[in-house]
Order: sequence, then structure tokens, then C-alpha cells
Amino acid sequence: MKKGRILSMVLVIMMLSTLFGAAAVAESVEQITFLNSKGEIQAQLEEAAKVFNAENAGISVEIIPCPAGKSPFEVMSTMYNSGNAPTLAMVDAGDVVRLTEKFVPLNDENWVADAASGSLDSVTIDGNVYAFPFAVEGFGFIYNKQVLDEAFGGAFDPSTITTRAALQDAFDKVVASGKQALIITPMDWSLGAHMFSTMYLAIGQGDQAAYDALFSSLRAGTMDLAANPVFQGWLETFDLLREYNSAKADALSITYEKGPELLGKGDVGFWYMGNWAWPQIAEFDTADEAYGFVPYVLSDNADDYGNKDVVAFGSKYVALDGSQNTEAQQAAGKAFLNWLVYEASGQDTLVNKANLIPAFTNIELDIADPLGRSIVAHIADGTTIPAIDNFAVMPADHWSVVGASLQKYLAGYADAATLAQEIQDYWTTAK
Amino acid sequence: MRKRVSAIRSFIIFCGPTSLFFLTVILIPFLFGIYLTFTNWNGISATGFGFSGLDNYRVVIADKVFWKSFWLTLRFVFFTVLFTNTVAFFLAYALTSGVRGQNTLRAGFFTPNLVGGIILGLIWNFLFGNVFTFIGKSLGLDLLSISMLSKPETAFWALVIVSVWQYSGYMMVIYIAGFTNMPNDVMEAASIDGATKGKRLTKIIIPLMVPSFIICVFLTLQRSFMVYDVNLALTNGGPFKTTQLISMHVYEKAFLAQDFAVGQAEAVFLFLIVALVTITQLYFSKKLEAEA
Repeated sequence: MKKGRILSMVLVIMMLSTLFGAAAVAESVEQITFLNSKGEIQAQLEEAAKVFNAENAGISVEIIPCPAGKSPFEVMSTMYNSGNAPTLAMVDAGDVVRLTEKFVPLNDENWVADAASGSLDSVTIDGNVYAFPFAVEGFGFIYNKQVLDEAFGGAFDPSTITTRAALQDAFDKVVASGKQALIITPMDWSLGAHMFSTMYLAIGQGDQAAYDALFSSLRAGTMDLAANPVFQGWLETFDLLREYNSAKADALSITYEKGPELLGKGDVGFWYMGNWAWPQIAEFDTADEAYGFVPYVLSDNADDYGNKDVVAFGSKYVALDGSQNTEAQQAAGKAFLNWLVYEASGQDTLVNKANLIPAFTNIELDIADPLGRSIVAHIADGTTIPAIDNFAVMPADHWSVVGASLQKYLAGYADAATLAQEIQDYWTTAK
Repeated sequence: MRKRVSAIRSFIIFCGPTSLFFLTVILIPFLFGIYLTFTNWNGISATGFGFSGLDNYRVVIADKVFWKSFWLTLRFVFFTVLFTNTVAFFLAYALTSGVRGQNTLRAGFFTPNLVGGIILGLIWNFLFGNVFTFIGKSLGLDLLSISMLSKPETAFWALVIVSVWQYSGYMMVIYIAGFTNMPNDVMEAASIDGATKGKRLTKIIIPLMVPSFIICVFLTLQRSFMVYDVNLALTNGGPFKTTQLISMHVYEKAFLAQDFAVGQAEAVFLFLIVALVTITQLYFSKKLEAEA
């Protein structure tokens, strides 16, 4: 009896010590966490953390993945409520703005001065910079140069696509050469967050006051989208895409994976997507890496806003938690961000390993992939427009709800009036 | 007095740990969750955390999308419960009649239940989207060449088919247990009295199987109300949110739209409905059992 009791006590103590032991071990190294919401570069970031930890003896960075299909906001809420907030959190610009009370302003960091122009606009509130721009990304129609050269019977010049008529002409030529014009991959985020944002951008024409007026009238329900010429122009282009879509018969059955396959193999001439798609296109590449971007044109006048521009924007922002991380941890977090921008191994991570376009002008490494190069060339030419997030905080579920309405229209389950009405209805109830 | 102390001690020793876990992991979060529905908390923020009374419930009642999702879920539950139990019952009936290889077949039908919902959803997503359409296009069958997942009505049925396929193996096992416990003498007596196969099924087997039905209907009801994983991996609510079941709507409200308190209120509402439906079902079927 006695023996049994002693044995059980020993077992209980063993169990408790394994439970709490981990926390009790004294740490001389500053442990920090980095929440990564770009699932496709998880492995690269883990590799980078190893390199950083080896170079910086006093700091240990752990990369925490945000699982696919989970919203970063959910992971954040779990971590914050368990008193375990990530030191650095990679989130979207809107989330940064909504959670500024948790984050530390980073105005005094060196990289603020080196950040590409416009890349901090969406996370600057009352003069305070609340996050680190992780990358620049761009989107528009990706073209397969080989297909287009063949269709045009010579070198295709992307800068000629500045009107809807020119776009349609390119589509026609591709079709005449025996290929399909384009593929639309109808993910809600692609349609709702990317394609449709061009419409908002073109209404405001880059003027902050105009955007403020636009979104307040949408929220108030006083905006008549269907009567707006920019919306009409946007929709007319969308109709064109719908008409030439190679998956027209069953538009919604297409998944993301189909896009890079069809474009890379040269079955279609265009695919609406961004430079992050390069690793997937490369798997199917038959065009000797000759790809580039043309804009989503909104009218037949080449000088109208956005007709020469692809969208390039600071994508994914890294914010530093100040509510649950100690001063020392915050300093370590800042050190990690500085390492990414100023150390050779950090820059190597961003540009060569993760295939990103860095948002910092001091990084001079050459971008290896053709899509990234095309975006960089557009930035150099001044033919880019920023994302709508630079002018307004979009409601968190905007892409999902508007994306669904666009899918409905794309597949022919709704007409233009219904589409406009659904978007207006959404805005009046949006948070 | 001594007896009392010893009773309390035994309770603490035997039920203490479980009660503690139940309290901390289920009960307290549940009550705290209800409390949160009366606030305007956003899920993360420490400030701006005020009482908002019944506001969240008002929003839920006015939320058209929620109600659409709710009716869709009811429809889904109805068909899933009906088909799962029918299929499972007849599978069990067939696989207890002594057909050749019945053990292998039982294992085969049970297997889908061992595969996780997400993986299962992805497999079927591929089947519906690529395999069936490929067969359809190769054979020139218009019906098959368009993916079931790209049309609202067929996507709903795709969801039902996969759920039925997933659950019926599990329910089959419970029905098989019911069949094996069936007293042989009754069946023998029935056949001596000249009852046909059909008569034996409707007059003897089904009434004697009521306990199995109660368990299976209860399980399928509760599971299909709560289904999320298959919904996410198979249709992801699409096309254009027409197959978004209620759990997914609640999740999106709380974490995508970042309307945490409203999402929580919807979850409480869902709890009430599921509790109501399953308790009613148990109450009435218990009565049925007594008669049988």
C-alpha cells in the first residue's frame, strides 16, 4: 500500500515537472516569435531564422506558420488571448491599422528611410509607421511572350496594351493563332481583392479626398455604382474577359493550379495574376522565361487613369508587438527586421531564397524571376498604381463577399444590375 | 460524517481530474463565450470592450446571410441524416446476411470514416473537378463534363454525397452491432410462422433495431449540424457562398469579417438549435423504444 502511494507520488511529480519544466529553464537567449502568413515561403523563412540565430548569438527567432485556410487574425487572436503574442506578426495592412493599440511605432528604425516610396502609406497612422513592408508585389495580366509573339507575327510590345480595343485585338490575334486568349482563375481573393480593386482605384484617381468620399458614400448607401462610368468601364472589360475566357463553359470549376499550367504550357496567352505565381509557372514554362505584365485596362482612352499601369503594392506587413513582449524581445524583433534589410544573408533570404521584390531601395540584388523583373521595370518606368489599401482600410471580409458576387456574375448567375446591387448592399452592412 | 468525507475524497480522486478539465476546457469557456455575446469585443483588443446588451443578437436576427446559411444547413442535415441512415442500415443488413467476403467489405465501407474530413474533401474535390469531368469529356457526356462543384445546386448534392459516404460506414458498424444482437429465436419463430423476408424486415427487424436508430440518428444529426472540415475542403462554401453551412458562416463572421462578438452570438444560437433538435429527437425516440 505504502509502496504504491510513493510510486504514484513519484509519477505525479514526474508528470508535473515535465509539464512546467520547460518554462522553468533559465534562458540567457532572447526568444522571439515571428508569425508567418505567407505559407509558400515557410521553409525559406525557417532557413533564414537558422542563419539569423547563428549570426546573432543572443537571439533565437522561431517562425510560426499560419496554416492554410486559417485567417491570420484567428491565429493572432489565439496567441494574444493566451498571453503568447508573436513578437513579429506578418499580417495584411488592414489588420495593422485595426490593431495599432498592440503594436509599437517603428519610426526610428533605419529602414523607414530606405523603404520604397508609397510602401509605408497603408500602415502609417498619424505620422507613426506601425509595420515593416515585407515585400512588393504586383498584379495584372501575365502574358506568355512566346504565344503573343506568334500571334502578332513578330515581337509583342506590352506597352501597346493601353485600351480595351488593344486588349481585345490581342485576344483576337491569340485566338486566330490557334490558342485560347486567356484563363480566369476565379478565386474570390483574385477577383475581389485584386481585379475589383482597380475599379476603386480608378474612381479616386489617386486622390485621397476622392477615396474618402467614395467609401463614405458606399457605406452610407448613397452611391449608385451601376450609373458610375468607371464601374461601367471596369465591367465592360470584365465582360470581355468573360467572353474570351478559355473556361467559359464551366468558369467556376477552374482552380488556381490550372492557371500556371495553361499559361506556362502556352495554351493561353494571358492569365490574370501576380508575380508570386512565378514558381508555379516555372514548373510548366515552355517560353524560355519570357513573361510580363499588362494592365487591367478600364476604357478605350489610353490616357485614362490606370490604363498604362499595373498594380504594385506593399504586400504583407510585419508589425512588432508591444503589449506582451518585453523591451529586450522588442529590441530583438527590431534586430531581425534590420537584418533582413541590411545584412547580406538577410537580403539573400528576401530576394534569392523567397523570390520576393524587396520594398527597400538599398537592396541592390537582381531579381531572378521574369515576373518580378517585369514589376520592377514597371516601377522604374513609373507605370504602376498602388493598392487600394494605401488610400483606405478595406473591410476585412470585402474580398470574400465581393469575390463571391463576381463569381456569380462570371458564371452567368447574375446580371450587371444584380452585381452592382450586391456590392452596394455589402458596403452598407460592412464593418 | 466520516462516510461523507470519504465520499468526497473518492469523488475528488476519481472524478476530480475529469471535472477539472471539463470545467476549464468546456464549461468556463462556454459561459465566458455567452458573456462575450453581450459585449463588443473584437477578439484581440484589450480596450474598447464595452457592454452592448442584446445588440449582437439583433445583428444576428437581421443578418440575411446567416438565415440563408441556416436554412441551407437544415436542408443539408435533413438529407444527410436520411441518406446516411438508409444507406448504413441496408449496408449492415446486407453485410450480416453472410455474403462472401463480408468482413473485407465491412472494413472497406468503414475506411472513409478513418480518413480526416479535410483530406476526404480534397480527394473528392479532385474527383468532382478533374476525374469525373475528364471521363465526361472523353465520353462526350454533357452531364459529367461540367464539374458538380461549379453549380450551386449540384455543389450542394456533392456535399451531401461526400458526407453520406463518410458517415455511413461508421453508422453501418453500429447497425451491424444491432443486427448481431438480434435474438435468433424471434427470427426463427417468425420464419416458422411463415413471415416473408419483407414482413420480417418491417415487423420484426426494424422495431428491434430502434435503439441502434436512436444512436445513429443522434450522431448523424449532431455531426451534420457541426460539419466544417468537409465543407471547407470540398466546396469552401462555393460557388459564390451558396454552400456555406452554418459553422463556416460563424467562422467567417468571427475571424474573416472580424466581427467576433456577432460570430460568437451566432455560435450560441447554433448551440441552442442543435441542443433543441437532438433533445427532442432523443425524447421522442425513447418513447418509441418503450413501445417496441
